[in-house]
Amino acid sequence: MKVHNRRLLAVFAALVAVSMIATGCGGGAEPTTPEEPAAQATTIKIGIGAPLTQGAVALGQGMKRGASLAIKQANESAEAKELGITFEGVDGDDQGDPKTGVTVANTFASDPNLIGVMGHLNSGVSIPASKVYNDNKIVMVSPASTNPALTLQGFAAVNRVCTIDSVQGPVGAENAYNKLGFKTAVVIDDSTPYGEGLAAEFAKKFEELGGKVLFTEKTADKDTDFNALVTKIKGQNPDLIYYGGIYNAGALLAKQASDAGIKAPLMGGDGLYDAEYIKLAGAAQAEGDFCTSVGLPVDKLPKGQEFMAAYKAEYPNDDIAAYDAYAYDAANIIIQATLKVAKELGVDKLTSPEGRDAIIAAVRAYNGEGVTGPISFDENGDTTNKAITTYKVVNGAWAPEILPE
Amino acid sequence: MSADLIIQQLVNGVTLGGMYALIALGYTLVYGILLMINFAHSEMFMGGAYVGLGMLTWLSSDSFPASSFFKGSTFGLILLFLIVFAVAGITIGVLGVIIERVAYRPLRHAPRLAPLISAIGVSIFLQNAVLLWIDSKAIPYPSLFPVRQVISIGGASLNSLQLLIVVASLVLLLILDTFVSKTRIGKAMRATSQDREAAGLMGIDINYIIALAFFIGPALGAVAGIFHGMYYGTVIFSMGFIPGIKSFTAAVLGGIGNLRGAMLGGFVLGIVESLGAGFLSTGYKDVIAFGILILVLIFRPGGLLGESVVEKV
Repeated sequence: MKVHNRRLLAVFAALVAVSMIATGCGGGAEPTTPEEPAAQATTIKIGIGAPLTQGAVALGQGMKRGASLAIKQANESAEAKELGITFEGVDGDDQGDPKTGVTVANTFASDPNLIGVMGHLNSGVSIPASKVYNDNKIVMVSPASTNPALTLQGFAAVNRVCTIDSVQGPVGAENAYNKLGFKTAVVIDDSTPYGEGLAAEFAKKFEELGGKVLFTEKTADKDTDFNALVTKIKGQNPDLIYYGGIYNAGALLAKQASDAGIKAPLMGGDGLYDAEYIKLAGAAQAEGDFCTSVGLPVDKLPKGQEFMAAYKAEYPNDDIAAYDAYAYDAANIIIQATLKVAKELGVDKLTSPEGRDAIIAAVRAYNGEGVTGPISFDENGDTTNKAITTYKVVNGAWAPEILPE
Repeated sequence: MSADLIIQQLVNGVTLGGMYALIALGYTLVYGILLMINFAHSEMFMGGAYVGLGMLTWLSSDSFPASSFFKGSTFGLILLFLIVFAVAGITIGVLGVIIERVAYRPLRHAPRLAPLISAIGVSIFLQNAVLLWIDSKAIPYPSLFPVRQVISIGGASLNSLQLLIVVASLVLLLILDTFVSKTRIGKAMRATSQDREAAGLMGIDINYIIALAFFIGPALGAVAGIFHGMYYGTVIFSMGFIPGIKSFTAAVLGGIGNLRGAMLGGFVLGIVESLGAGFLSTGYKDVIAFGILILVLIFRPGGLLGESVVEKV
């Protein structure tokens, strides 16, 4: 026993010594950085909350690239330099999981210099995380969470730049029934707040228009085996399979349905709008599938070309994913609001409760032209831009099929 | 629901069951000998799928000299898949042996919870290693296997890949069963499983037998992993978790420690899941599968083929 304790003590002592050396080193390094009292750069942090290692990673990594580009451009702008503000993006990997998302939110909240969050992707993550942000006076702008419930909580700090499911689902139904001529559908969702909301809104409108929903079914967002469901769908022979969910599972459903000889295309929401969907389902199996996504195609917008050029210059090896432009806009809105408040109240007030309240108010009052179109927020924090585009897989790539009027 | 659909659901279920059975064998082999649940086994399945993916991609890429031969003829394709399965099986088998040596053997005489925790640690380590070194995203599996309808009855059909999965898993199960019940090494394995110390005293090399179990189980898991990748078309680092839990359930359902039980459990679970998803709802398929497990354990605590509980004295 004694020996054990002594050994433990020795280990502990060694650890303490090592940690002291480590801090010593840090202290020693300090004088080498020249002090510049004139510049006095204030670092203002912006959280980037997205699934980076698990879940819809292709979309999450894209969001991170979009927001990082906005932050980089802001730091190069004369305005930020003049005020002496340096923006810094902080990654928060929510893994598309609500519990992890709340942990990320609390980590963000514990950082005194973090004033805003661009995020999250999944509605199921955004909703619980939004409470943490609102309680801690951190302004949140989601580029991608489309479940209506997010902004109905009455949180002043919570906003989004994407159109909600109660708009997207019905537009999908109208296009499917009126323009694409599908009269019967099976409606499947992935049991997440995003998928359920979207599928329910679609089914409601589709039946209202006179279409027939043959059956609805719930699956899980991490399911890989849809063969039993596919067999059931085959027995009903619908015109269309509507799927409320993310591309990971949606692509597998499309593949298995197509392999089983089902001719009906699959249609979904913005969660499917990524090249990964086609890659995972297989180009032949995905051909002819549809999805709706928020806003207009980026290349059809005035500032879109400019954004695409800057994006390509910064990330030559990456393609623009569904939410990159929205993430860019979301981060930009936070940056603009911060700069505005810095000018009115002074840079040192930014992280104070007063400054935070002012930033929250400035974001809500934002009115400007983003790369995704004109942006302003209504009293709930929803964007007033309600355009929805329907895309179709043509020759192995998503192509705009029906543009908003 | 018409007869066609029921037959189709049975086909789906048997295919799924074949994969469960292959994985379940790994759990049951190790449990039979060490009385330990190898929670890292689901990662053997995942690892096998990735090794298979790498091999398939490499051997069929244009830069590989023999790729046109492999893709050109039926014989070439058969050879290609044999190589892929063999390499993946051996690689993952060796990995299994290494894991046993590094993470479990030092804990063999520790309380039974210790190796269990170590296994969970290995599982997390392997998942994160793949996540960091390979990719966090799902990767599509090369579709080299010609999927054609083989048998079709009314609306129900069985395709070549489903046939391959079912036949290959049955053959592998049969070989393993014969190996364990008929050969000398098999006898040594059974002896070790009955009483490790006594078997050691009789001159059986215990470490060799345990290493063998840790080779065969993961190798079969790797084969199941490749089937899973080919059948569903994608692999992802976290793919092992759910099939792992299901197969563990299958092993318990059949009677853990019993090889034939693991096979039976795998097929029963696959069929129950598919019929449940077909008749009721996909959302309930896990509820039904685990509900059956609970029922079986209430009435037959040892599992379907397990011996009624015998106290080891």
